[in-house]
Amino acid sequence: MKYIAAVFSVLISCFLISSNSLEHDGSLTIKLQHALNGGPNPVYTDRGHITIHSLRLKQAIVNQSPLTDIEKHQIQKLAEDNELYKIKAIVTANDGTERTFISAVKACMLAESELDDKFAVSLDYMGRVIGVTSLIASKATCEGAVVPLDKLKEFTTSVYVRHSETGAIPDTASYIQKLEREREAQEKGEVKDNRSFLAKYWMYIVPVVIIMVISSASNPEAQGGGQ
Amino acid sequence: MANFRSIYKVQVFLTILIHLTLALYEDQVGKFDWKRSFVGKVKYVSLEARRIIVATEENVLASLSMNTGDIQWRQLLEDPNDYQIELLQVDKEILTVSGSHNTWLVRTWEINSGTLLSEWPLNTDQNIPSKFTVFEKKLYHIIPVTASHVEVTVYPLYDVNANQRKGILRKITAPWIKDSSECVVANSYFICLESNQLYFLNLLKDNADFQSRPLDSLLGSSLAKTVLIELNHDTPSVLLVQNNIAKLATIVENNISVKPFDLMPNAVKFKENEHIYQLEANDNRDKLIRVKAKDFQTGKDVFSVDLDYPIGLGAPIILGGQSIGLVTKLFLTTTDNALLLVHLPEGKILWTREEALSSIIATEFFELPISELDASIEHEFDGDSDIISMFTHRITTQINQLYSLLSGGQSRKNGVMVRDEFGLHKIIVVATRAGKLFAIDTLSGSIAWSYRLPNIQPFLSTDKKEEMLLLVQRTAKYYPLPAQCVLLAQDSITGLGVVFQFDPITGQSTKGIQRLNYKIVQAVLLPYPNKNLLKPFLVVSDTLEVHLFPKDSISQLKEHFSTTFLYIADPKRDSLNGYSLKYSTEDSLKLTPIWEVNFQPSNLVDVSAKPINEIVHSQGKVLYDRSVYYKYVNPNLLAVATVTPDPNHRSVVSVYLIDGVTGLILHSASHRRAKGPIHLVHSENWLVYTYFNDRFRRMEVSAVELYEGHLQSNSTVFSSFAVSQLPDIQTQSYILPAMPLKMTVTLTERGVTNKFLLIALTNGAVIEIPWLLLQPRFTGMPCGPEESCIPYMPEIPIHSETTINYNQTLSRISGIEVAPARLESTCHVLVHGLDIFYTRVAPSKTFDLLKEDFDYRLIVLVLVGSIVATFVTKRLAARKALKRAWKIFHKKDIDKKIEVMRICCIGIVK
Repeated sequence: MKYIAAVFSVLISCFLISSNSLEHDGSLTIKLQHALNGGPNPVYTDRGHITIHSLRLKQAIVNQSPLTDIEKHQIQKLAEDNELYKIKAIVTANDGTERTFISAVKACMLAESELDDKFAVSLDYMGRVIGVTSLIASKATCEGAVVPLDKLKEFTTSVYVRHSETGAIPDTASYIQKLEREREAQEKGEVKDNRSFLAKYWMYIVPVVIIMVISSASNPEAQGGGQ
Repeated sequence: MANFRSIYKVQVFLTILIHLTLALYEDQVGKFDWKRSFVGKVKYVSLEARRIIVATEENVLASLSMNTGDIQWRQLLEDPNDYQIELLQVDKEILTVSGSHNTWLVRTWEINSGTLLSEWPLNTDQNIPSKFTVFEKKLYHIIPVTASHVEVTVYPLYDVNANQRKGILRKITAPWIKDSSECVVANSYFICLESNQLYFLNLLKDNADFQSRPLDSLLGSSLAKTVLIELNHDTPSVLLVQNNIAKLATIVENNISVKPFDLMPNAVKFKENEHIYQLEANDNRDKLIRVKAKDFQTGKDVFSVDLDYPIGLGAPIILGGQSIGLVTKLFLTTTDNALLLVHLPEGKILWTREEALSSIIATEFFELPISELDASIEHEFDGDSDIISMFTHRITTQINQLYSLLSGGQSRKNGVMVRDEFGLHKIIVVATRAGKLFAIDTLSGSIAWSYRLPNIQPFLSTDKKEEMLLLVQRTAKYYPLPAQCVLLAQDSITGLGVVFQFDPITGQSTKGIQRLNYKIVQAVLLPYPNKNLLKPFLVVSDTLEVHLFPKDSISQLKEHFSTTFLYIADPKRDSLNGYSLKYSTEDSLKLTPIWEVNFQPSNLVDVSAKPINEIVHSQGKVLYDRSVYYKYVNPNLLAVATVTPDPNHRSVVSVYLIDGVTGLILHSASHRRAKGPIHLVHSENWLVYTYFNDRFRRMEVSAVELYEGHLQSNSTVFSSFAVSQLPDIQTQSYILPAMPLKMTVTLTERGVTNKFLLIALTNGAVIEIPWLLLQPRFTGMPCGPEESCIPYMPEIPIHSETTINYNQTLSRISGIEVAPARLESTCHVLVHGLDIFYTRVAPSKTFDLLKEDFDYRLIVLVLVGSIVATFVTKRLAARKALKRAWKIFHKKDIDKKIEVMRICCIGIVK
């Protein structure tokens, strides 16, 4: 449990980083429907509502009723069969336009996380919803799982409103500043530096001299050995 | 001192060398690159004394050599999508009229060099298709205004002051007229066919009106659809084509009459003689085409010649010709855009040019198969042969292999399609807009084979990009199974899918062209080879039915149903939809929608997935404190670009990174007051895109890099469903002081080599930019050579040494394709457009290859010399040691004697 909490905190921090760049604030209501029947032809039933009063503040109110026993059994079965848990989100913007998005997660992952799911509501630069994705915070996937019914009580849903970031622009200002700083430093350096040739380059000359001394010292020895 | 100086010299030398190897040496030009130039599909032609002047649909004016077909000079006019050449007239100089709708440019060109002599604009009020003709040094511009009148404007062409160049406008009432497509210009007459009436107008007479004749009085019947075709003759004449039979109509003294004989619709005539030439199909299988010459007045056959028509070319038509005495030269073009020059009366084809290569749509690189010699060793255990014959077989093959190794190897010879050691010799299969496949040899640039697929055309993808798919089902690695590739395109008439399976090395197809009965919206190659090592592929129809090719590989696929996901980009609805194959059964494949991203009202411009054969070598980046920052390498990641028209910001460019399995939008960034063209390059854990910044009026390039963080969430298996944390995203933008046309990234065998971005610019250069220069810098961290980090520069420097095509300007680049060689350092590059350019690039320099000018003799000499020196010095050392030993022995001897003497002396003294 501690480990899961750590994961969540990282997830939340990542969501919060995205910068606020909306020009106009707006509100949204999202009607959630889920398919618990499995198989290729989903039958969607109501799950609850999400209301976002301010897209800028990214605060969402989630309104969901507890699951009925039939629904709990259905989710348990979906998890057992390694099925997909499908979600349909009907988004109504404040200008009345309606858009429908679908999303799916692995049912076993949902059950293992004890019905703790997350919704990412992605917006474009104008605050229009372009996608609603359901996801589960987890480090690994599963291939079917048996989860006891008492763990499947109620959805604990978190909603993350994700804005479109303002694209990076070439950073000319700081670069020019940097260049100017360097130039200044150079100018300062040039004013100060009127030492003699030896004073300036002694660190290059000394090793050369040492090498010369060593090589000349080793040569007479070899010659001397020969004599 | 001497030692130090030499080290210093070597160091200086090395630095110079490193800087120089960025570019080519002069003697390396053309050593591993080649360029082929093209002119495009020819529209108008004029045969001159030793040259052929062509005007093409690519809006190119060029001169071809009469003898060889080579391009003597080539002039590129404006963008062919907006402008087209509408008139080509060659006299002492070349006259062209090019443009569209209401803006035209009249130009004259020098015939020998192709230099522009004069140019003047021609503007009209009418924005409708029109016709041009030149008569008696005057340019006639004829605009048919629907259901009203025809405007004829006459411009004097020569000896006029440019300022005084004014047209004389004349309006002729023609309430019946529809548009220019039903009209032709024959000599000095403008002839139209409208509702079974033939109207003709003499352009030379100032006060002439349209005259008309009912069509049935000329042809007898007017029930079938009739088409007008112009014919070049001194007497104004046209062909009236009905049911594929042409009748010749001539206008003599304002009276039109029809000749009694039949002609083919492809009949042409040249000004030099009185013959009409036409092409007919021939029964002879070796000589499929027959040229027939008929007399203009009587229609009697003058002669007929069977042509040595090359197999594989499409149906020809005569575009132009020239008769000098008995010799006639015919200039043919084919349905697959090839150009031929025919020499009559022999019927010989002088040369052929494959102009289809000027519009390459899809490209794929293929490794060649192993040589027969290497292959024969595989046959050792084939038969029930006894042990001795098996042994002799093995020994002979290996001796032969040794012999071929010593004699320099076979792969170095051109023309031999055999794999070489380093994978530098490859074959490039290209699919062209004309529906013709070509295989090009990378070493020589010659065409290895070609295959024409009749009636196919590319798909139209997002942002009206033309696309064909080449899927590699099996490479040449699996001897004796041949390589197999598949081309997916659509039928040019019905738009239904076309599948063509072929061997990319030989160009042979066992199944031929398969025409499907549905339209293709998506196709994917699956990574699950069947028992024949053939990768199957899925085709999704427009009704979202899934089809598997080949059908019997369902047994491989069924295990992966629940892990196979597809996405479909819908440019009409500006949405991206994800599907799963989870609920498929062996009998029926089924797509189940699982996610959707809807970009409306933005326009979906580009979708880019990562290259499928890319290998990410390094999993992380080492930071300055020696900790590892892991890369977010999601193989399912898609990059999507959209452009939104906006009332406040004019247009907004948005770029999204979307997981292709769950549909989660991992990153989105929008650039206000920016517009296309957008180029996306998506590789490893990063994305680079370019766009035009409307506010500062400059091209900008942005880099996005994704990291997992200091902890790797799952190092063995990646799952898009397991989202434990969202990637850390770094972005940075730069100014690009050039206009990019296409952009791609180099690809190497193992991904160890650095990455270079290859950018084709509008000035005809292809430049390479190291990824390191664009890689976003971490804020608050040191950046220097120790961190292998180049400090941030807001403007990308473009040096002339980084141009990979040095001084070979490439025109109208339409794509850059890359493929890894088997040498890790090297990457094949093919740039195509109006020119094709092939070269190899080595982003980290050829660290695994000796330089081609490496002095093998010197190193052998040095080796032999040092071996000899070792032996000699050994010998000398031995001798010296011996001498020394003797010396010591003598010395000891002497010492002993001295000792004895000393003892004696001591004794004596005592």
